[in-house]
Amino acid sequence: MKLAFGLQTYAFFYLGFLYLPVLFLPLFSFNDGTIVAFPIKGWTLEWYRQLGSQDTLIQALVNSLLVGAVSAMLSTAMGLFAARAYVRYRFRGKRISEGLVMLPLVVPGIIVASSMLVLFISMGLKPSLTAVILGHTFLALPFAVAIMKSAFDDFDVSLEEAALDLGSTVLETFRRVTLPIVAPGIVSSLLVTFTVSFDEFVLAFFLSGNEPTLPVYIWSQIRFPAKLPNTLALGSLLLLASVLLLVIAEFFRRRSSKSLV
Amino acid sequence: MTETNIIEMTGVEKRFGTFTAVSDLSLSLREGEFFSLLGPSGCGKTTALRMIAGFQEPTDGRVTIDGQDMQGIAANKRPTNMVFQSYAIFPHLDVGDNVAYGLRNRGLKKAEIENRVSEALEMVELGGLQRRRANELSGGQRQRVALARALVMRPKVLLLDEPLSALDKKLREQMQFEMRRLQRNLGITFVMVTHDQYEAMTMSDRIGVMFDGKLVQVDSPETLYAKPCNREVASFIGEMNFLPAQVSARQENSLTVTTTCFENLKIETNPNVRQGYGDILVGIRPEQIEIAAKQPDGYDATFRGDVVNVAFYGENVHYHVRVEGLDRPVSASVPNYFHMVDFREGDSVWLGVQSASVIDLGENEPS
Ligand SMILES: Nc1ncnc2c1ncn2[C@@H]1O[C@H](COP(=O)(O)OP(=O)(O)O)[C@@H](O)[C@H]1O
Ligand SMILES: [Mg+2]
Repeated sequence: MKLAFGLQTYAFFYLGFLYLPVLFLPLFSFNDGTIVAFPIKGWTLEWYRQLGSQDTLIQALVNSLLVGAVSAMLSTAMGLFAARAYVRYRFRGKRISEGLVMLPLVVPGIIVASSMLVLFISMGLKPSLTAVILGHTFLALPFAVAIMKSAFDDFDVSLEEAALDLGSTVLETFRRVTLPIVAPGIVSSLLVTFTVSFDEFVLAFFLSGNEPTLPVYIWSQIRFPAKLPNTLALGSLLLLASVLLLVIAEFFRRRSSKSLV
Repeated sequence: MTETNIIEMTGVEKRFGTFTAVSDLSLSLREGEFFSLLGPSGCGKTTALRMIAGFQEPTDGRVTIDGQDMQGIAANKRPTNMVFQSYAIFPHLDVGDNVAYGLRNRGLKKAEIENRVSEALEMVELGGLQRRRANELSGGQRQRVALARALVMRPKVLLLDEPLSALDKKLREQMQFEMRRLQRNLGITFVMVTHDQYEAMTMSDRIGVMFDGKLVQVDSPETLYAKPCNREVASFIGEMNFLPAQVSARQENSLTVTTTCFENLKIETNPNVRQGYGDILVGIRPEQIEIAAKQPDGYDATFRGDVVNVAFYGENVHYHVRVEGLDRPVSASVPNYFHMVDFREGDSVWLGVQSASVIDLGENEPS
């Protein structure tokens, strides 16, 4: 009893410490004043309204959506095939390769970013959205692999064999059986990898050149105190979008493991 | 039943790394027969079946189906279809689409596909369930869908991997009869893998018994039961009392043997065992041993013992009888004619056997 109470208190403070600052963001985005401090002067939607008329912001948003969509598709496609191989086959170097794929999760972002910058420039690829897409694909791959692996874990191999047995070619089997069955996993992976890319700052900052993504744009605006409430509003919207995407992704991931009873 | 062979396996071997799962398997399957591969789990039955289906290439040897060498021919090009142990019902398709799956690969007309699907579903008594979702099916229904999905392809050979092992006992017995009836009506060759000897015996025309990757004996259920080729087969199929025996005389078709229980009994030689020169092992089925309070008349051999255990099975009663000089009690099983258990633990009894019931199991190798 006592231990449980202690744990509860701990969890309460822990979560408060983690999420309270995040909650200030939306709170002050409705504040009718440019100074971020209590007491709140009044409530307004003005800062949100102003967002729509800022062309550079819209351009950054479009950039982010583009980068997010392309790197989500690339990393999910790669994750799909990698996960299928990891779950189905035993091969030389499997353990090492599985470890390497997960590496971006632990390597400091600044290291990845600076080495990619050096690499891309030495290959003649100038900082651009293409460079960001490549970087984000690399960064999102561990998420895609992990999600697709859990989709394939529940997948009975004899389903693919049954399709072959009934006359399908390998490709048809993939299209008519494998893909539909792991589809919820694919959707979940697309959403998660998109979110990873959409929120990412360090790589985008190094690699985007003069085509900023949304987080890079926000960073550039934070220096102007007058624009701060706008930035808060934008940040709140981003937060909302990320949470929504992740919740939907989790819904699909669960559905993928349930549909295979 | 015609005498053409639909499947020929010659010297087939399958190795996984250094482990040999199937070794030197040679087998001819006749067109239209119900054949079972029977053996304990892990003995290589599924691997053998998968080499026929084309999911695994033999490391060595040859598989021909309907006269055609299957080397290098993929599963989707073989005239076989398979019912998987897990049934492998496509979870994203309903029953109708599951059964139609293979027909769509053949590019048949829509109307014909629909006809054949409903025909196949009628056949397995799931008529009208086309739009039922895969996750709404019971175990028995999944099994029937898997059967219909394979049979609708009209394969030359239907392969079944432990098709009934996931069902409960009552349903399993019912399906045994139904599958047997289906096979008879369709005349398609069935090759079934099972570890259940009763399943194999009730359904099959012939049974191949496998141990440790080797095919040990191929025979009809009756022959397997009456003339097993060695101790392993004899104890895997049904129950058997084993007695070491000295051979005092060998004639062309008979042996004169002496055991702890009887002396100089003339028994038939078993054509399925290799004849040697030393002592042999003989076997007696429990239901062929008479048990009585007084020395029974009309038996070729009688001997005494004490009941040490009584097991009541309902349809029959098993008595375990300790006989002087034997390590293990002799098991005798008696049909339950009058709802009476005649003997109790500790009773002194007489046992009787006919010489025809004493099975020659060949040289007595230490096991
Ligand atoms: N793909 C494989 N790789 C390695 N070993 C295998 C493979 N498939 C089967 N085996 C091994 O071969 C043996 C026989 O397997 P299997 O044919 O499935 O037996 P059964 O169906 O008689 O239970 C088992 O010991 C199993 O572990
Ligand atoms: Mg098996």
